[in-house]
Amino acid sequence: MSYGTGSGELHEILEVASSAPAAWAARYPGRRFLGFFCSCWPEELVSALGGEPLRVLPPARPGSPARLPAYCCTVARGCLELGEKGTLGFLAGAGFAHACDTMQCLGDIWRYAAGMPVFYLVPPVAPLACGAEEYYTEELSALYARLAGAWGEEPREDALREAVKLHNRVRALVGRLEELRAGLPSPLVAAVLRAGQVMPRREFLRLLEEALPGLAARASRPAGRRLLAVSGAVLETDDFYRLVEELGGRVVADDTCTGYRHYAAPVEESLPPLVALARRLASRPPCPCRHLGLEARARYLLQLVRSKGAHGLVLILRKYCEPHAWDAVHVAGALRGAGVPVLVLETEGPVVGEQERTRLQAFLEQLSGGSGP
Amino acid sequence: MSDKQHTLHSARRLGRLMSRYYLSSRYHSLWGPLLRRPLAWVTSGAPVEILRVFGIHPFYPENYGALCGARRASLALCQAAEARGYSQDLCSYARCHLGSLFSPEHAPLKKLPPPDLLVACNNICGTVLKWYEELARRLRVPLLFIDTPFIAGELEDRAVAYVQEQLRAMVEELSRLTGRRWDAARARRIMGLSNEAVLLWREIRYMGRHRPSPLNAPDLFIHMAPIVVLRGTPQAVHYYRLLLSEVRERVKKGIAAVPGERVRLLWDNIAIWYRLNRFFRFFAERGACFVTDTYTGGWDTEMAVREDPLESLAEAYAGIFLNRSLQFRVRQMVELIRDFAVDGFVMHSNRSCKPYSLVQEEIRRQVVEQTGIPGLVVEADQTDPRAFAEETVLNRAQAFLEALAL
Ligand code: SF4
Ligand code: SF4
Repeated sequence: MSYGTGSGELHEILEVASSAPAAWAARYPGRRFLGFFCSCWPEELVSALGGEPLRVLPPARPGSPARLPAYCCTVARGCLELGEKGTLGFLAGAGFAHACDTMQCLGDIWRYAAGMPVFYLVPPVAPLACGAEEYYTEELSALYARLAGAWGEEPREDALREAVKLHNRVRALVGRLEELRAGLPSPLVAAVLRAGQVMPRREFLRLLEEALPGLAARASRPAGRRLLAVSGAVLETDDFYRLVEELGGRVVADDTCTGYRHYAAPVEESLPPLVALARRLASRPPCPCRHLGLEARARYLLQLVRSKGAHGLVLILRKYCEPHAWDAVHVAGALRGAGVPVLVLETEGPVVGEQERTRLQAFLEQLSGGSGP
Repeated sequence: MSDKQHTLHSARRLGRLMSRYYLSSRYHSLWGPLLRRPLAWVTSGAPVEILRVFGIHPFYPENYGALCGARRASLALCQAAEARGYSQDLCSYARCHLGSLFSPEHAPLKKLPPPDLLVACNNICGTVLKWYEELARRLRVPLLFIDTPFIAGELEDRAVAYVQEQLRAMVEELSRLTGRRWDAARARRIMGLSNEAVLLWREIRYMGRHRPSPLNAPDLFIHMAPIVVLRGTPQAVHYYRLLLSEVRERVKKGIAAVPGERVRLLWDNIAIWYRLNRFFRFFAERGACFVTDTYTGGWDTEMAVREDPLESLAEAYAGIFLNRSLQFRVRQMVELIRDFAVDGFVMHSNRSCKPYSLVQEEIRRQVVEQTGIPGLVVEADQTDPRAFAEETVLNRAQAFLEALAL
């Protein structure tokens, strides 16, 4: 990789991040992987039952799966393509956490298209509403029992507590990397964060722990670079981050669904684990698929931009993605109103087209007043 | 359809009823404050019975979107919304409605009655929440949101309890906003009226089982308006009684909605509002009648009567068909096909409505497998005419009908 891999541990992480799903089964034989699609999915339940939660990401250039129309985002279409082709046949099941209308449909189709058990979880859309926490705790408990039943395991609370600790350690470690983010190449950080969603977590934890000192030593002030905050849905490859670097920018805050939003907010360890998992939903950075108040997301992003010293915000919209397209109007307006330059960038997939590249370049130049990196 | 004498006489009465509703909405600012009756913009799946208890006048932006489509005002309105940054990929009902706020000069009714509050329920889609969040920010009025968890399998008690809790909070909030008290007995009476209208509507829809069918899908699309906007009122009950007697009369006299009915079809999804008559006439001229559909049936489910009206409402509104799994929808379609002796089905793959449309291909496969009857998928949009390639679609429809041996 052009941005250098440094240590062997880092090399291994990056290799997983860039490999195709089919390779994972061979790399980690004998593991029980459960595929999940949305970062609301409670990975802890899978780990507590001895499984490995694995985020299903679409291929960079998806074709046309038979069961979804063209006016559907390439995240769902790409994932379905993998499912239909049997590429994910090594999974012990698929876990869907209800988020947007599209994911709702994908979860339903998956039952018939991918030939594996589907575990459906419906978190509240309004986590702060009356009764939401009780409802969600019960919903999680039912899911835990269902998963355990399917795998012939006991849904034990102590195992769940251990799993919470494991995932909190992952979050804490990624948090340390996050502090170094401004000093490291953006695609490198993005790849590590992605690897942490597909690799068995204990391996990831060990490797990242060992790689961190090297990364800290390597981190240097991003002199002359234009600093960006990025928000959006899934970014399944490093292409966008690479482009930002190429154009003299640096992503200093990554509020994408596959970026730091996935790791933010630990699970409270002093509470009963299912209650704590339920509560986490409301403490995560606001996602357009949840209702946490009318201003929550704009406020969060403004605070993120300011605290990370970003010069501007890029809102990445996936073509046909409704929740993000809705939010973009307000969020862009609110942040611009607060003096933050905002670029709304629509892409078909993770690869930015020529026209968007030009727009991104112009945006970055405007941020720095035209001076090069 | 193709024959004027077969238009339902009730259509005129319906026109008057709906004009009265829209007039009373439009001039709400003159009478509402005097009678202390606030106006709410509400989603089609919101528990309107609660609002009626508090004397709130509901206005339905989705129904208004359909109206904009039928009056061919939708394109200009969608474009007005797009010019403000709203993506062309968003539901066109929402774009029409937002467009009418930005460009009232292009909108039917011109300026819409401003709301005192907004009530959204996500039992039909996630879009309505985003749409109403946007309205609440722009208009600076309170938004009451009811979250009805998607039903992946069966409707669970925990989901009903959660919705019920939210309804309880909503009742408190409405008490505070209106200065009126919750009256459970009144709620039961209003729910009784809803149930009456719903049962009449169901009976009317089921008249389509007769051969020839006295009704074609466009009749259902037009006559569904009161069950959406006047649910829970005596006017809706009264209207559907009259409509039912007219449809019964048709059956008695053997009057067909499509003269010379030769093929019986099922329609899936929302209508193509800007082509309603022309599109269905194409089929009618070839002897094909849409004797039933999945959309207008969304309003034919009766509420169970429970001790606590909020529990009944929670159960009913959480269980709406668009909030249910693909499996449920396959079952529903297969039943309709059998009950109405349908020969083929047409699915409108509707760009606007993702929860309705994205699962259609899998539903089509399963329905074909289970019933052995063919299904055609046509791409369009409920109100945005840019997504409709009429010639291509009609060519495919022609081929489909030919395959059905017409
Ligand atoms: S949130 Fe957007 S990108 Fe993600 S699955 Fe839903 S529609 Fe697709
Ligand atoms: S048409 Fe579909 S997406 Fe639009 S408001 Fe209705 S249910 Fe929602």
